[in-house]
Parts: sequence; C-alpha cells; structure tokens
Amino acid sequence: MLTKKGKYGLKALVHLSELPQGQLAFVNDIAVANNIPKKFLDAILGELRNAGFVQSRKGKDGGYRLARLPADIKIGHVVRVLDGPLAPIPCASRTQYQPCEDCDEATCQVRHMMLEVRQAIAEVLDNRSLAQMRDAANDDVLAGIKYQI
Amino acid sequence: MNERASGRLAIIIVGGGASGVLLAAHLLRNREADIRITLIEKRQVFGQGVAYSTELADHVLNVSALGMSAYADDPEHFLHWLIERGLATADNPRVYVPRSVYGEYLAEVLGDLRGSEGEQGRLHLLSEECVSVATTTAGVEVKLANGASLVGHIAVLAVGHEEQPSIEKTVAIRPGSPGDTPIDPDDPVLILGTGLSMVDTFLSLTAGGHRGKITALSRRGLVPSIHQAGRPIRLDAADVPLGTDLSYFVRWFRQLVRDTERNGGDWRDVVDGIRPFNQRIWQSWPHGAKRRFIEHTRAWWDIHRHRMPPELHERVIRAIAEDELELVAGKLLEAKRVGDRFEAKIRRRHVPAIETISAARIYDCTGITTDLAAGTNPIVRSLIDRGLARPDPLRIGLDVTPQCAMLGSDGQPSERLFAIGPLTRGAFFEIEAIPDIRVQCAGLARQLVSRAGIAA
Repeated sequence: MLTKKGKYGLKALVHLSELPQGQLAFVNDIAVANNIPKKFLDAILGELRNAGFVQSRKGKDGGYRLARLPADIKIGHVVRVLDGPLAPIPCASRTQYQPCEDCDEATCQVRHMMLEVRQAIAEVLDNRSLAQMRDAANDDVLAGIKYQI
Repeated sequence: MNERASGRLAIIIVGGGASGVLLAAHLLRNREADIRITLIEKRQVFGQGVAYSTELADHVLNVSALGMSAYADDPEHFLHWLIERGLATADNPRVYVPRSVYGEYLAEVLGDLRGSEGEQGRLHLLSEECVSVATTTAGVEVKLANGASLVGHIAVLAVGHEEQPSIEKTVAIRPGSPGDTPIDPDDPVLILGTGLSMVDTFLSLTAGGHRGKITALSRRGLVPSIHQAGRPIRLDAADVPLGTDLSYFVRWFRQLVRDTERNGGDWRDVVDGIRPFNQRIWQSWPHGAKRRFIEHTRAWWDIHRHRMPPELHERVIRAIAEDELELVAGKLLEAKRVGDRFEAKIRRRHVPAIETISAARIYDCTGITTDLAAGTNPIVRSLIDRGLARPDPLRIGLDVTPQCAMLGSDGQPSERLFAIGPLTRGAFFEIEAIPDIRVQCAGLARQLVSRAGIAA
C-alpha cells in the first residue's frame, strides 16, 4: 500500500523534476506547493538523500535537487525506500513480514493472491520513471484543456 | 533487414567454450528456424574453453548438478546425463562433479546436435583461430588466422575469459596456458590473486607434487569462504531495494543477514537467496554505486558468493597453517625477470616497507582484466579500434544492451554484433556461471530466431 509518506515523497520528486537540471529548491517551497507538512517533508527528503535519489546543500541558499536525471529514477525504487517492500497488505512481504492476528498465513488464500499482486505492482512501478510520471500528469492536463476547448 | 530475402540467417559464433556451445544449442532448439550457425573454436575440442578444460579431479564445479543443465527450462538435463553414466544418483542431485565432466557433457550436447543437424546443415563447427570481426554493408566478416574469412549476417562474441595476463603483468602467466611448463617442485611460486582461481592453481601445483613455498597476493588477502548446505531465503523483486546508492543497499543487506541469523539461518542463505536478483540489482544501480562496489565491496562480496567445497577449504586452511601457502594482503609494485628467476617487489597492506619476493614462476589469477581495452584479446581490440565496440563505463567488459547488442563508440546498439558470457559482465555482473549464461543464451536465441525465416 502506498502510504502518505510514499505519496508525498513522489510529489516532492515530481516537483524537483520540473526544475531546470541542477537547480536547488527550498523545502518550504516544495511543502507549500504540494500541500505537504514541512516537518514530514524534511524527514522524507532525508531518507531520499540517504538512498541517493536527491542531493542537498546546507545554508541560506541550500535546498534539494535530484541526484540523477528524472528518466533514470524509477518509481518502484523510490517507493521501496519510503514504504519498504512493495506489498498490498502487510503480510504479503518476505522481508518485512507482519502476520495478521486473525488468520493463518500458511493457508490464507488472500495472502497467496496478494503475493502475486505485489509482483504485478513491481512490474508496473519498476518500469515507470520519474520523467514518465511527471509527463503523464502534464499530458493529462493538456488533454483536459484541449477537451474543454 | 533483408536477411530473409537472402535466404538463411547466417550466425557466426566466435568462441566454442561453454557460452558459445550453449548459445548454439539454444538456437537449434527451434527446429523450424531457417538458420545456419558457424561455431569457431581455436582449441581442437568444443565445450571446454578456459573453465572446463582442466583434467584435475580436484577442480570441481562450484554449482551443483541441478544448476548446470544446458537448459534452464529442463533443469535435470545434466543430472540425467550424469545418472546414465553412473556419476550421480537420483537421490543425491546436489553433487559437485569435476569440471572436466562438464566439458564432456557440453561436447556431447554439441555432438548430438551435430548428428541430428548435420544433414540439414544448420550447424557447422570450425577449429580455427579467429583474429578479427568487422561489419560490412551486408552483414559481418570474420577473419581467421589461416587467412580465410567468413561472411554472415550476425556475429556473436563468446570469447569468455582472458587467456593472457594483462599487459602490466607480462612476467606472469595464466595457469594452464602454453607457458605453464613444469618447474622444480622445491621452487617458490608467487600467485597474483587469492580467489577461486588461486585455489585451483594451488591444487594443481600440489597435485603435481609441488613442495616449495606458495605465496598468494591480493589487495586484501581474502580467501573464499566454505560451502555449507543451507536454505536460501525466499525473496521477491518487490522485497529488494533497487536503484539506490551502494551504502544504502549494503545497510539493507547486512540487516537482512542479521534478521536471517536471528531466525536460525546463515549469511549463505541471504547470499544465495538474493542471487536470482543480482543482475537486476546491478543494472538498477547508478554508475557511482557500481564503481564503488567494484572498488571497495567486490572483494568482500566475492569470497562470500564464490565459495569452496568443505574438503578443499580444509586443505587450503591446513596449507596456510603449515606455511606451505602464505596469503599476503598487499600490492604488487613491480615484477621483473632476474636470470632464470622472477623478482616481485610488493608492499604489504598498512606497512610502508617494500619487500622483494623471489619466485620461479608468477601466476596471474587476478580474474577480471582491469582495463578491457588494454586486454590481450585481438578480436576485442580490433572491434574497439574500429569503433564497432567500446568498453563499458567500468572497463571490465564490453558495453552491451540488456539484449546483448554491442554498443559502438557512438553509443548506438549494433543490429549485427552481439556478445555473451563473462565478456558482458559490465552490463550483467552476475554472468560468470552456467545458471546465468544459459538464461542469457536462451534470451539471445529467441531474439535471433525471430529474425530468421522458417525452414522450408
């Protein structure tokens, strides 16, 4: 499941991908523009920096920028860093496995199918780049404008 | 592509070792494909290459019989072959057989294909040395050392491992190469490298009655770990962090080892459990992570990933305890010939003083060439010189696409030139062993067969 953390992280990355290459953005600007609580965003960007997706600079002119080209950042890779293993329910993971209190996972048909679903999630998210995600949103907006005209 | 119009799709495979034979076998599995394969090998025998030509019984496969079938979708093919010959039993499929047996198996796979394909003319074997590969307007041209040249539509390079020492180590020789002549059994020997190739060389020397001191030198002086039966953990791609920096991945990996050990498992269960994802992990990393891995982490990774069977490990440890074998962590500064001896200047790790080691023979067991363009393979060099190929960014192999197409000096993927096996390690990393090479060959075969017509 994509948590709020995952969603905010992706929004922040899209924000950074829309800036000219190498330009830094203030955390505050990203937070305001995307309606994300600033403290939460600080923590999220810190984790993305530890994983090597963004770089930061301290000081008055400091801020964040992408560490790689948007075409080289895959959405699934970012989500794993922020939300852990891709899994539709907590028991459908092999490393961060959390058993449900109310069922026996060995015979649980729901879990069995959800293990299959997570492969499909990985298949989609690992083949979509940040650039595609950014452009898909813009394309939709453009299509909407055209439609209205 | 006008390949169909001009009749059969002619594929020339340069190198008849394990990779080349596996590719030919996968190409010919499609009985209808209208192809003509020419497999060129400079040795008189096919299917052996550098890896499987050893005669020594101690040189065993380090993958069990179940992982060594020529075909990934027929995993017991090799095991059945072993059982038919009384070399394995059905109740013990995890047997580690001598590598020479595997060479025989591949030769027989090829022999069977030649028998069944001979009349149709889809497979031709050529025992000649190849000197260069080039593209022409219509296809490819492969020149042989005897002056002849072959033309085809597609050329696949399967030349595997370097056979000559790299240029900066010219006084050293590769074990088993023509220069590897007998030496006095009491003479000291220096081996560059401390991995599995070093162990092979140590075993060959002692099997030949060598008694002199053997010194093995590498940057860290680490020797491969010991194999143990375990239960590899189950992972899905959805569990594995991809595309991160190296330090992030290493932290995750260490944590997973700790968690596995807490649950009664072993680090081997993690190393083996992650293996199906090694190529994907490698390909997902940014260049900086790959470079740091090769520089700092690879030596550590290799001794955990490429392990020794318990009997061999015991022998190596005993030899170290009895001072027959000394492992030195350090750097080779210079090596030169002095009379009928060699003198190597080395500096031990964290020690400023320079030491001189005298040896009757220096073996190069360092594995990966540090710079492919400086390598000694004439075919690779000719391709790079003509701009038809380029080294990968880390210069440990040829730059290829995930579909094995060579990238030219302009970065454009070729439609006619491909590479498989260890030569593609820059793009695949985990591509030294049969379980991975056979999958790569199956993929390339599908791709090439789709470009061929149907045989009449």
